[in-house]
Amino acid sequence: MKIYFKSLAMHLKGELEYRVDFILSFLSQILVFFTYYFIIIALFTKFEHIKGFTLYEVLLCFSIIQFGFSFNEVFARGIDKFDDLIIQGNFDRLLLRPRNIILQVLCSNSDFVKVSRLIQALIIMFIATIHLSIDWNITRVITLLLMLLSSCIIFFGIFLMAAAYCFFTIQGLEVRNVFTDGGKHMAQYPIGVFQKGFVYFFTFVIPYAFVNYYPLLYFLGKKDSLFYAFSPLLVLLYLIPCIIIFYWGMKRYTSVGS
Amino acid sequence: MSFIEVKQISKTFRVNKKKSGLKESIKSFFKRDFIDVKAVEDISFSIEEGEIVGYIGPNGAGKSTTIKILSGILIPDSGECVIDQMTPWKNRVKYVKKIGVVFGQRSQLWWDIPAEDTFDLLKDIYEIPEEEYQTTKEDLIYRLNLQDIINIPVRQLSLGQRMRCEIAASLLHNPKILFLDEPTIGLDAVSKQVVRDFIKKINKEKKTTVILTSHDMADITSLAKRIILIGKGHVLYDGSLKKLQNMYETEKYVSIKTKDKLSIRNKGIKEKTKTKEGYDLIIDTRYITISELLNIVSKKITIDDIEIDHENIDNIIVKLYEDYKI
Repeated sequence: MKIYFKSLAMHLKGELEYRVDFILSFLSQILVFFTYYFIIIALFTKFEHIKGFTLYEVLLCFSIIQFGFSFNEVFARGIDKFDDLIIQGNFDRLLLRPRNIILQVLCSNSDFVKVSRLIQALIIMFIATIHLSIDWNITRVITLLLMLLSSCIIFFGIFLMAAAYCFFTIQGLEVRNVFTDGGKHMAQYPIGVFQKGFVYFFTFVIPYAFVNYYPLLYFLGKKDSLFYAFSPLLVLLYLIPCIIIFYWGMKRYTSVGS
Repeated sequence: MSFIEVKQISKTFRVNKKKSGLKESIKSFFKRDFIDVKAVEDISFSIEEGEIVGYIGPNGAGKSTTIKILSGILIPDSGECVIDQMTPWKNRVKYVKKIGVVFGQRSQLWWDIPAEDTFDLLKDIYEIPEEEYQTTKEDLIYRLNLQDIINIPVRQLSLGQRMRCEIAASLLHNPKILFLDEPTIGLDAVSKQVVRDFIKKINKEKKTTVILTSHDMADITSLAKRIILIGKGHVLYDGSLKKLQNMYETEKYVSIKTKDKLSIRNKGIKEKTKTKEGYDLIIDTRYITISELLNIVSKKITIDDIEIDHENIDNIIVKLYEDYKI
């Protein structure tokens, strides 16, 4: 863990070498991503609610997914950008170091500009929770924290799976975006607004529903069962196949010429 | 059992076959043809502790692939490899602590920050005890003359400076084996010399086993007593450099300074050119030895001065490649 924080510090050091670039990127990220939120707000000027979910409920859901996604973009950038590591041949170097490979991939890259999105997501979440009349109690606080946590975990798993895909081919990387970006866009809305088939898919195949749907129902007081409150923990199970697939792919690694 | 024991290693890659041109690119977008390329086939050799071995061969012969297998990056399709009682790709974490690898074409240093910061991180990665780390680091800084460059962001260093830092970074954990894949590529004469001298020294003092690939034969001649020649994935020659030189060095260059006129006819003299001060001869030692030549020449003329030159090692290698058709 010490190594991870040390490399994080070094990445920050490296990024700050280009000061103007850093500041401009940081600002532009904020501007660009506000437009996403505007789209939702625009949508709700037309409709009162989508399948029973109001504007602020959707915004809450949206910000939680954004938080998890951006969190991984900042702190697990190496896994997000794993194809670069393979194409440029730097993965060889990681194999030569006496440390866990996934940890090293995590250390290999980070993108602090995306911190802007993290902050943004938190602000939106904050605004949304103020406008929603939440019946606050300790379980609700825990549920909200679990939602944030599981959002980070699920994207970590998905990124890892997408990274494993690079071991087999570095072509057709767009396919994996169906699951990362595509999935993200779906999950920005409460999964329940979609057709049954999608709900099953996002419950059992990629368990987005445990991140921002079932716990959301509890959080908003639409469901009372504690199972809903603690369902984000199930996302942890999702990590297991992701890690297995990654290591399985690593065995097939063929390096690049030099 | 030798320190490094490689037995019948083979590795095949699947390569996407594609003709040039946009039309072909589009075609291959939908349907791909693959061909299997045997990068290395049935490679076997053994190396003792403390040896320096030059691993040579033309581009695409399988040098890098072998290095990658030996260092545990690639898993061969078949064959065995035991190095210091470990199989590189099976005991990866334990094994890589004992080796250092320098890829001349790739950097392991962080581009935007000084090399010393990378060293500090490597210390944690390899879990080197503080005291040991400090002594090794000081020693490397002194030997490779890094005092002035270690605090400059790596991107501002020259290639030669960077390569010295690379080598230092690979040796911080005192590895028993050092793999050098084209360590002098693109370096100037002085930097090359620094790198060579340094490698020689650590091999002598620390008994570090060195496996070296290079296209610069001067690297090989100055460092390695033994070479392994590889071509099209097979080992073609494994033995001393001297023997190879004797086998292939059939030409010698003799330049004679004289004021007299020389007329000489012999099967062993391949070329005779008149120069300002005398004659340049190229002789074939299979037909005439140096002493025989001197005997004949000195009877005919007075020799003011004489110079005998070996054949360039690069020419020998070219001949060798031609002979093996690689």
